[in-house]
Amino acid sequence: MTTTPDGRSSLRGALGGALGGALRGSPTLVVGLALVTLHVLLALTAPWTTGHDPVVTDSGDVLSGPTAAHWLGTDQYGRDILSRVLHGGRYALAVTGLATTVAVAAGTVIGCFTAYADNWLDEVVMRVMDALLSIPTVLALLVVVTVLDPDLWVVVLAITVVYTPAVTRVVRGAARAVITQDYVTAARARGERAPSIVFREILPNVLDVVLVELAMRASWVVLLVATLSFLGFGANPPTPDWGLMVEENRTALTVVPLGTIAPVVALATLVVGLNLSADGLSKRLGVDRAQQGAAA
Amino acid sequence: MTATEQVAPPVTGEPIVRVEDLTISYRTGSYRTGRRDVPVVKGVSLVLRPGRVLGLVGESGSGKSTLARTLLAQLRPGSRVVGGSVVVDGNDVFALTPAARRELRGGTAALVAQNAGQALTPSMRVGRQIAEALESHGLDAGAERVLELARHVRLPDPEQLVRRYPHQLSGGQQQRVAIAMAIAARPRVLVLDEPTTALDVITQHAILRLIKGLADELDMAVLLVSHDLGVVSAMSDETAVMTDGRIVEQQPARDLFAAPRHEYTRSLLAASPARLRPAAVVNEPVADEQQEIVVRAENLVVRHHRSLAPAVSDVSFTIGAQETLALVGESGSGKSTIAAALAGLVPVESGRLDLTSPDGASDLRTSPTRDLTRTATSRDTQTLRAVQLMFQNADTSLNPRRSIGSAIARPLKRFAGRHPRAGVGQLLAEVGLPPAFASRLPAQLSGGQRQRVGIARALAAGPRLIIADEITTALDVRVQAEVLELLRTLKDEQQLSCLLISHDLAVVRSVADRVAVLNAGRIVEIGTAEQVFTGPNHPYTRQLIDATLEPGAEGLDEAVEQVAWRDAGDGWIDAGDGHHIRRWEQG
Repeated sequence: MTTTPDGRSSLRGALGGALGGALRGSPTLVVGLALVTLHVLLALTAPWTTGHDPVVTDSGDVLSGPTAAHWLGTDQYGRDILSRVLHGGRYALAVTGLATTVAVAAGTVIGCFTAYADNWLDEVVMRVMDALLSIPTVLALLVVVTVLDPDLWVVVLAITVVYTPAVTRVVRGAARAVITQDYVTAARARGERAPSIVFREILPNVLDVVLVELAMRASWVVLLVATLSFLGFGANPPTPDWGLMVEENRTALTVVPLGTIAPVVALATLVVGLNLSADGLSKRLGVDRAQQGAAA
Repeated sequence: MTATEQVAPPVTGEPIVRVEDLTISYRTGSYRTGRRDVPVVKGVSLVLRPGRVLGLVGESGSGKSTLARTLLAQLRPGSRVVGGSVVVDGNDVFALTPAARRELRGGTAALVAQNAGQALTPSMRVGRQIAEALESHGLDAGAERVLELARHVRLPDPEQLVRRYPHQLSGGQQQRVAIAMAIAARPRVLVLDEPTTALDVITQHAILRLIKGLADELDMAVLLVSHDLGVVSAMSDETAVMTDGRIVEQQPARDLFAAPRHEYTRSLLAASPARLRPAAVVNEPVADEQQEIVVRAENLVVRHHRSLAPAVSDVSFTIGAQETLALVGESGSGKSTIAAALAGLVPVESGRLDLTSPDGASDLRTSPTRDLTRTATSRDTQTLRAVQLMFQNADTSLNPRRSIGSAIARPLKRFAGRHPRAGVGQLLAEVGLPPAFASRLPAQLSGGQRQRVGIARALAAGPRLIIADEITTALDVRVQAEVLELLRTLKDEQQLSCLLISHDLAVVRSVADRVAVLNAGRIVEIGTAEQVFTGPNHPYTRQLIDATLEPGAEGLDEAVEQVAWRDAGDGWIDAGDGHHIRRWEQG
């Protein structure tokens, strides 16, 4: 287990300790986080690095191959593909970051509280979560986005609702193992209130599980966002978005293959980066130790 | 029944295992701190002979388990043999091919580990697991052979039992299954690594007797590893004492316990609780009538679930000021449930449980007694503060993500109103730890140090009663002695009452003023420590006392497990001076 040398072992200390310890000596995690960081940096700096506006059309220069002016060529409206790919990460990352954070945070808090309550409330909440889990993800999202607008916030909210139950389930399982520990019993015997026990005693000890959940869910959400856009329910044209680009350019696949391949490569590297991060984190933090049945 | 079918090997006394000058080192550290090889076993030599039991005692970290497992060619990852050899049945085990090693494990040498619950596969019926142990050595694994093995280890009702899953068995039965699997291929060497540490004394006694019987019958050479001097004393023909990777003394068991030669052995024996008993100080009876009562329980009934039988039924006792009441009994007898009820962790079904306020309580408007049948969430701060818990397992009693300082500061802030920073340092000093430990995390402390922090945390609240639930069970004997001594000192200094829960009668005898013996949720005997340990006794108490193995014990008494008694309704025998024994009849 990783430890922090300093005594301020609050949530922050636990988080820092977990991450710091995890980074040391795990090539998987380093590569994963490097890929994700690269994507974030490229997306953030896209307006200054690309030199082309991603939505400006140029009817005189459509479907060109790679040229000196357009390194990856242009699409059927004459828009610069490189610029669109770099900008396309912004929408995907914004939605993924927001939706994953909110879903994991909500799932964590609900999971810890219901695990601690361990009474009828736990039963009711978990049956509701089970019901939500039984709804097919893409279908649910399509319905929500069709009924409401495919606005960024609507998509974020819909993804949050869809993913919170799964996170709740995982965190609740981890929290139930923590609750049997004597330090939680000691806190109960001190007459501590539920929020104090959850935030001081339980949460710091499930943070490793939460971190892994965060990285893993993020990779699914990235794919989900791209899927929605591809189906025409995510970003609206002419917003640069990977899913949307694939959809727009697939008819011209034979003419300008890069129009389809470039966003796919971008999407794939981000997903692989997130997956490697999740994998590295779970190995380094020993999150799968419970399954291995190893006594600590 | 098997004595006839078995080909009795000639008792030659020729060694079957020869460990010579064995040195094992363990690679530690990381890339940053630099790797080092730390020797864990240093030039150890020993021999095992068929039909003989060699006991290996030592504290945790002495290298005894590492040594024992080399007999099965097993090394922890990161460790390697630096020098010497281990020869089992004529073969150097570390020179064997992988296939030959598999044949060695379970075939020639078998292991029974401490926790049978973890050694068995939870999703497989135990009969199937025994069959697997046979199949893996190419032996007949028919149902009849499995039953025969089950009978051999004296599992009750074998036909039914082999169809059950491990979790449906008691700890003792699980250990019997593990033993059946170990002897399935008729090994010539049996390695026992703390085989009874997780069991209560009566079950331990039965398991040890089984092992001893099997060793004789199958003429196996046995290596028994234990930190429990009593177990080793009763079981072994010869005893080796190990510390810091070396065997410092090896003698016939009788001689070793009677006249230890090495200083380390003497310090181990001196620390064993049986010898801790101070001459006169403790156990002096307090004037009963005048004694102030701190906790009074009357006809207490606690039930974990409506559909279950009560875990505690009709229990009455008192704990006086500055008195230590010990609850003893085997696992499942309700000891810990009473502690949980006192701490407000489980609801009380019926009966009374009162905490009396100290004399001269400042607030006379409140009732002089406080109701402890309320659970912790509905108790007032003063009541919560008055009762503090200490736990068995130092590993899980402290939050691994919080510093020692913040663990102690929490109750200080909640109850004592003392300035946390100054208070933490003072409390750490009181339990014999440097104040700098406040910034450490639990993982950076040893088991004994963590248990001291547990004591400091309990004291931080300024309690009147502390509940010590098996607090020394997981500790080595010398650390256990230190912790018990510390507890006794602090209890006297701060005038605390204590409810001590232990299955170790030697510990109880060394620290308790009064003892209550629990069986199936009911008290069968209660009296001063002196009265309970000298008798007359309830048969169950007698059984517990007889099953307790102290250093110097020789052999195991068959009569211990054959006590039969029945409750004779309600009613008590008054043996005088507050010594009460529940009526029974021979069953």
